[in-house]
Order: sequence, then structure tokens, then C-alpha cells
Amino acid sequence: MSVAETLAAVRPRSSRAVAFLVFAIAIALIAATPFLPNYYIRVIDSLLIYILLGIGLNIVIGYTGLLDLGFVAFYAVGAYSYALLASPQLDLHLPFLLILLVAACLGAITGILLGIPVLRLRGDYLAIVTLGFGEIVRIIINNLDWLTGGPKGIARLDKASILGIQIARPVDFFWLLLVVVLLAGLVAWRLERSILGKAWAAIREDQDAARGIGINTTNAKLAAFATSATIGSIAGAIFGASQRFVSPESFTLQESVLIVLMIVVGGIGNILGIVAGAAILILLPEVLREFAEWRILFLGLLMIFLIIVRPAGIVPRSFGPDKLIRRLIGK
Amino acid sequence: MTLVFDRLRKEYGQVVAIDDVTASFAPGLIHGVIGPNGAGKSTLINMTAGSYTVSSGSIVLDGKRLDRLKKYQIANSGVARTYQNIRLFDQMTTLENLEVCFYPTDVGGTWKEVLWPPYASSRRDRRREKCMEILRFFDLQGHADAEAGSLPYGRQRMLEIARALVCNPRVLLLDEPAAGLNHHETAELTARLAAQRSPDRITIIVEHDMDLVMALCDNIIVMHHGKLLFQGTPAEVQASTDVQLAYLGTANDIDDIRAAAQDRRAQLGIRTRRRS
Repeated sequence: MSVAETLAAVRPRSSRAVAFLVFAIAIALIAATPFLPNYYIRVIDSLLIYILLGIGLNIVIGYTGLLDLGFVAFYAVGAYSYALLASPQLDLHLPFLLILLVAACLGAITGILLGIPVLRLRGDYLAIVTLGFGEIVRIIINNLDWLTGGPKGIARLDKASILGIQIARPVDFFWLLLVVVLLAGLVAWRLERSILGKAWAAIREDQDAARGIGINTTNAKLAAFATSATIGSIAGAIFGASQRFVSPESFTLQESVLIVLMIVVGGIGNILGIVAGAAILILLPEVLREFAEWRILFLGLLMIFLIIVRPAGIVPRSFGPDKLIRRLIGK
Repeated sequence: MTLVFDRLRKEYGQVVAIDDVTASFAPGLIHGVIGPNGAGKSTLINMTAGSYTVSSGSIVLDGKRLDRLKKYQIANSGVARTYQNIRLFDQMTTLENLEVCFYPTDVGGTWKEVLWPPYASSRRDRRREKCMEILRFFDLQGHADAEAGSLPYGRQRMLEIARALVCNPRVLLLDEPAAGLNHHETAELTARLAAQRSPDRITIIVEHDMDLVMALCDNIIVMHHGKLLFQGTPAEVQASTDVQLAYLGTANDIDDIRAAAQDRRAQLGIRTRRRS
């Protein structure tokens, strides 16, 4: 038996075992989280927020193939929506769910506003302009003292509550985030498989040929920017509610880069990859907290290693959630 | 009702690429466009499909002006095309390459597809059924789930034509469909193009392979230096001394024309990858 044949015979069984293992770890982690100390729950909350951001940004980068380096702007829009509508700053105290809705709409609008000027740009040019957009939003927030409190930020945000149930402890946010991440993941995944998702893929592969088969690339791209920004903005609103404090420091270029890295390391265009990428890039620095000075060096080495062994990311595009489920039920 | 070029003109600064071409293309026929290199054949296709703008003159399909529309609107008016260097969606499967063509008709139901899975699967099944029909017509059904970029060159050519045909276009524009194909594949292509002929369809082929053009086309347009040099049936074109002069500079017979064209085909044989 040749090596290839052996591999072919072993692979389905072992990959099914891997699928089971992944699934079991996920369930165990979810079940164990409420019993962990608050510090760990906070780490998991922040992991879930980054996964949510990754799911959002992946629509633009992974599905549509547009490198957006200013994603943090939408995150900021969401966070400041919550900060302004539920704090003593403007003396507004709207309910959390309403603010989520407002943040989602504002996110979509900002997404389209960013989308319109960059429609003609691709690749490096697009990356530079979106990078600038992210910085512009941060600088505006930093300087609009009368509204946003400038560099001091906005403190004493209201405690969030949904239908009378208060969401304040880290574990409350864990459940909220888990639901939101699953919903966003489901919507993003179904969008990818819809006819619009196919059109995004066509634009990613060859924009001009996509126009040639009758795709209005303007509308399809704006739809991608809008949905992506909506998810980013919702993540921001939840982030604001969980920190109960927002300041421009949380929305630097570094954050955008981190989210892009998560997607690239995990596997571009694949939701499972984002989870893997976020787990590595968010959890590892926490694990390595004791070796503070060595963290970045270690991360750098890990990146080089991953790019050499798995250039398509930890979980490649072809192994999507549908494949994982199919492996689990053994088809 | 036809496709009509009226004093169609394309200028690049001082250079005139297409010089007041007036022609009309009747449905049900296969029209060939031939001419020496740089005669403006591909430019005609690119202007019709909206890839290039029109400097002056007009392109009218069934009474509707195409030259002022955007490229995707032209496609949605029933104009489908293939490219001189194959342009497929490489990382999508063969089936998806065709499925995505139903975007203009199906995009309105996107959110319903996202929120209501049974609706999504019924729509997808309907789309895929039509796609499989075309794939079977081009004998590509065995490759349905393969990535388009991984197909052999000849299959990619067929898939590109299948993609152009999947939405049953009114106008089919083929830009050198036989470039890079071997004799066997060219014969297959000729047969398939003959089979797709339908009373409503206007097929326009730009091609250097004279055997294919002469065998397939009902009407041939000869371009030279951006001008329409000659128009007629294959027999008339072969007999025309003007055409022979344009190709070879001297009056000579069709075999020399064929040889000259064949050289050009050999040059086009290797597919240039455009991906960066």
C-alpha cells in the first residue's frame, strides 16, 4: 500500500475523531465557563467579542476579498452608541436592546459611508484608505470633547438589562455573547451560501468577470460592507456595556490589525478558522502573561511557524461548519 | 429585431481603433469576425459587452441602446461573453461558476434564503438543476464539484462558454474560443457551438481558426485597420481578393491565410495567468 493510500484510508476516521474532539472541547468549555473564576470568564468574554468581530470582518475580507484595515471604526461606532445613549454624558438612559438596534443601524450606515468612496479601490489601495478611515474615526472621537469626552472617554455607563434581567456580571455577558456569536455566525454562514455569498466570491475571484455575468458589484460590495459593519457595531455595543467605560484607546489601528491577523492565521473565509485564530491570538497572550517581555516575540515566531506549515490558515476555507457537522454525524 | 452597430467608433487619443463600423447581426445565425492582428475584432466584442466605452456611434439590441449602460446592465439585457484569456472564478467549483449567474434574478430573495432554510434549498435546487443541464450539454457534469481553476485548459474553455450560456442569453460573444485548443478539442468546440444555435440567439465569434470560422459561420465580417473591409458568406469571403490583400499583402489563396492565422493561434496557446 502506498503512502497516499494509507493516508486516504486513515484520514476519514481520524478527521472524524478530530471533529468529535473539537466539538467535545467546545461543549465542555461552554459548560465549565460559569464555574470559573471571574478573571477567566472575562478572558472568555473578550475572546467571544473578538470572534464576533472576526465573523464581521470576514464577510469583507474572506468572502468578498476586500482587505479592510479600518474595521475597528465600526467597533467604535457601536461602543460609543452605547456610551452616549446609556450614560450621564447626555443624560440618556435607553434600554439595552434598543441601543443594540440603533448601533446595528448606525453600523450599517457607517459601513455604507465607508463603502461608497472605496468602491473603485482594490488590494493595497483599499487597505490604505480603510486604514485611514479607522484612524479618522478614532481621531474624531479623541477630539470631539463635548460629545465623547475626548481622550478621557465616557465612564459610568448604565448597567445593561434585557427585559428586566440585569446583565452585569461577566457570566451574564458570557451567555449574551455566546448567543450573539452563534446567531452572527449562523447568519454569516448562511449568507456565504446564499446567492449573494456566491456573488461575493465571484467578485473576490474576478471583479470584471463578475460584472460580465450581470452582478451589480456596487450593490453587492455595499451589502458586504454594511453587514460586516453591523456585526462590528453590535460587538462594540456589547463591549461598551460590559466594560461600562469607553475611551479612544480601545479603538487603535492595532485592534484592526489583530482582527485581520486572527482571520489570516485561522483561515480566511472560514468561520471555524476565525474561532481557532481568535483562540490563539487572544488566549495565548493571557497564558503567557508571566513572560510579558517575551510575549510578542513568541507570537511572532508562532506566526512564522504557522505561515510555513499552514499557509491557508489553521482551518482552510474548504473545511467549513457544514463539513464539521457532516463529519460529526458520520456522512 | 437585431443587434445593430451604427457608425461605431473607438479612439484612443489620436489612434482610431474602430473606424465608423456599421453592421447588423440577425438572430439564429452565427456571425464570424475575422481580420489580421490589431484589426479591432476584440475591441468590437469588448465595446458590445461594455468592457470598453464607445467613443461615438451606437450599439442597439432589439431597439434598446446598450452603449450607455453599465457593464452589468448590458449583461442583464441578455449579452453574455467569454474572454480571450479565460476568466473563470478559479476558486469556486464548476457548478458554482454557473450558479452565480442567477444572481440578477435571485438576489432579491437573499434575506429570505438566509432566514428560511427550506426556501434557500428549494431555490438552490432549482438553480442547480438548470446548471447541471448546461454542464451535461458540455459534458462537464463529472467536474461539477471540482474547483474551476483546477480543470484542464480545454475544460476551462468549455466551462467559460457554459457560463455564458447558462442564463440563455440573446447575444453570445465569443472572443477567440479556440485559442490554445488542440485539434480534437477544436472539433468538439465546433460541434457544441453548432448545437447551441437557436432561432433567438445572435452568436458572434472572433476567431483566427479559419477551419472553425468557415465551418460554423453563416455570415463573416472582415475587419482591417478598424474598418469593416468585407461582409459575406464564407464562400464569398474566400473568393474576395480584398480579404486576401488585407491578410497577406498580395492576392493569394485561402491556404496562406489559414497558415498565417495558425501562427497566431500557436502564439496564444499558453494561457497567461492574470492572477497576482
